[in-house]
Amino acid sequence: MELRRTFLALGGLAMGVLGTGATLNYFEESLPTSLNPLFGETMVDSRAQELVFDRLWYNDAVTNELKSRIVSRHEVAEAGRAIKITLKEGITWHDGTAMTSKDLCFTVKAMLDSGTPSVVAAAYQEFIAGCETQGANQALIRFRKVLPKPRARLGFHILPAHQFDSTAISPDLEFSARPTGTGAFKGARARREVIFDQYSNSHHSPSVMQLQLREGGDPLLQIRTLEGGEVQGIIVVPPGSRADLRASDEVTLKSYDLRSWWFVAVNTSNPALQDKRVRQALNLIIDRTELREYTIGVKPGDRNSPCEFISGPFVQSSPYYNRTVPTVPSANRAKADQLLKSAGLTRVGGRWHVGDQPITLKIGMQSNLNNEATDLLEQVGNQLGDAGFDRQTSKVGADEWSQEVVSGQSDFDLVIGKWSFGLVEAVNDLFHTNGRKNIFGYSDSAVDELLNAYEDAVTDTDQKDAYHKLHARLADELPYLFLWKLDTKSAWRTEVRGNVITPYFYFTEIDSWKVVED
Amino acid sequence: MRRWWVRPVVRIGAALMLPFMVPAIITGLIWALPGDPASLICPPSQCKGTQALAERWNLDGGPVQFFSGWLSDAIVLDFGRSWSAFQGMDVGMLLADAIPVTCMLVALGSLWTFTGVFGAATGWINRRLDPLLRTSGMIPVLILALVGAALVDLKYGFGSSGQEGQLARLLIGSAVLGLADGAFAGAVTGTRGLFSRESKQRYVGVAILRGETELANTLPNVTPALVGQIRARLLHLLSGAVVVEVMLKIDGLGDLLWAGTLEQDFGLVLATATLFAFGSALLLLMQAFTEIAVALHVRRSPKVEAA
Repeated sequence: MELRRTFLALGGLAMGVLGTGATLNYFEESLPTSLNPLFGETMVDSRAQELVFDRLWYNDAVTNELKSRIVSRHEVAEAGRAIKITLKEGITWHDGTAMTSKDLCFTVKAMLDSGTPSVVAAAYQEFIAGCETQGANQALIRFRKVLPKPRARLGFHILPAHQFDSTAISPDLEFSARPTGTGAFKGARARREVIFDQYSNSHHSPSVMQLQLREGGDPLLQIRTLEGGEVQGIIVVPPGSRADLRASDEVTLKSYDLRSWWFVAVNTSNPALQDKRVRQALNLIIDRTELREYTIGVKPGDRNSPCEFISGPFVQSSPYYNRTVPTVPSANRAKADQLLKSAGLTRVGGRWHVGDQPITLKIGMQSNLNNEATDLLEQVGNQLGDAGFDRQTSKVGADEWSQEVVSGQSDFDLVIGKWSFGLVEAVNDLFHTNGRKNIFGYSDSAVDELLNAYEDAVTDTDQKDAYHKLHARLADELPYLFLWKLDTKSAWRTEVRGNVITPYFYFTEIDSWKVVED
Repeated sequence: MRRWWVRPVVRIGAALMLPFMVPAIITGLIWALPGDPASLICPPSQCKGTQALAERWNLDGGPVQFFSGWLSDAIVLDFGRSWSAFQGMDVGMLLADAIPVTCMLVALGSLWTFTGVFGAATGWINRRLDPLLRTSGMIPVLILALVGAALVDLKYGFGSSGQEGQLARLLIGSAVLGLADGAFAGAVTGTRGLFSRESKQRYVGVAILRGETELANTLPNVTPALVGQIRARLLHLLSGAVVVEVMLKIDGLGDLLWAGTLEQDFGLVLATATLFAFGSALLLLMQAFTEIAVALHVRRSPKVEAA
């Protein structure tokens, strides 16, 4: 084993000397909050963790096929309530220790441990019952119920048991800053950057020697730095900056399929917004075409628009999108006024009132969205102001967003945000009464039933049916005003080749990335 | 005059209490704020383990338990690991890296102050420049720091947070700190005012008639006031360093304090604030010992025999 590792290390070194290995510098939206997969919740976290860890199963970026780099065999057991997994041999952790089934079961037990304060783990606690090792490389994961497609649900990262004292894992362990994984790179966080150093393994042979992640900051500055060649990539390029890069011979714009959609969540607990007709009126007051033009720069009739309106909680290319539900591209003030009056609101001096009180809407927006849609918060505020609503607007930082808004602890009336999904576009957490990301504690029994139907569905068709109905119901109930899907583009210099970008996780195929000197 | 020692003793007492009082007050303040870090990382509505985390971080027994726990660890220089701002990173190491940076920033910034004090005391900086200095001192630190940050980002790009970039940020930051918000202008005009008031004293005129220099006579008498003024200016620089470090992304204590506060990283906030309190305490001690030295020097003067 030692000899094998020595050869692998020499191989990596040789690649570096021959020039195929290189350092890639890239700008991220922010620094990751944690490199421990149990605690990172942002997209930046997911992308960084993908470099350091292996997920049990993942979807191939090109064929969409479910694959695993660490599982050699699997079989469904106990009549669908368990899965028997055999791990590949020869895989080592970044500290040289061999990965075994003990690590797999440790990860499961850590996620199930009530002393592990992890939102990520909570999603797995709902359906995983336990794990049992059956030899060095075999483990049996048991479920709470029969899972129709168990492998698709087992996309968690594996943690090294020997790095922890207990299955109760805390976020403030050194592991969050300097994790040990089985992925293609060893990661180490510093104050202003994260360095990922190549680690060749039996299942990974990356060509890139090192990746350096730094926070991007001003988009213009990022682009100038990319064009100057000092940095090789930008993960998210705002729509307004894409034209410059498109014209460049040295940079390629690449699609990053995030399946993300934008919304305005409505606080249904606010007495003024409890009535569905008020929410429907707000939906008609928002002029999406105008918003899109003023904030993203898409003129009406533009071809190749990066922005596509939606009428429900899925992107239009999703199999779950219900095409019978029309989008609302333009405002209809007359109809909105009619709905507001029918809901019992009165207009006094041009302002809408509930009883004697004028309605003031407190509107928040995830601050980083401003990079992609400049002044969206102000534009939405202006449209509502013109329609007769007083408003207070404020931007919400990344931490406040994840820690207060998403967990339902904010006091906003409207919140502008964006949700991003991988291939699994499960929206149960957003709209179920007990959903973990139910921003304003929205509750509707019919919606809950449809979400449960999706959860319990055995076939793809049943799942689609449930979500199509859900789409129609939400478009009528409007706990969210659905805005649009905005394409996400990355920019990489042309010397970076083979850079297949995996939906959502981005770096899953990092082994194929290489830097070619022109 | 007999009780000359009271003031320095009060200062020494305050200096000794400051490093304990500041974290204690901060603990009280953060306890009064809504929300707690354990619930922010693991909202009870979204995950289990909030209570376990609160216990691990000693947040479950009230502010006194938390503070005494933190203090007993801090005394043996165990500051734990960052909870959220730099999750998993050793707070002691973060502080160890940040202390020299902030010291360097304040030291370079204070060069401007000392130059101003020296220039004004010796008359090297002409009085006619005062209006210009006052005008230039009106530029707020925030504006100058923003301009400085933009310059570094444009010049160094991706490397702006690397070693070269950090050095440039440090140099620009020290200039911003030393010049903005009237730091330099205040040092010049304040010192000049102090000396010109003292120069009008009768004993100075007599001394000049005796052929002695003005500075040699005024200096011992203005020293306590001058040291007090310098302490105030250094404190001003120390607090200004927080703004400069945040705006210019300098890896110092001020930036740590800011990040910790934003993320409710109590351990990081307390440790950083305590270091600032230590800085302030050192300045108080410096003032107290200077006062003692001057008082002893004055009392050491030979007694004039009665005629």
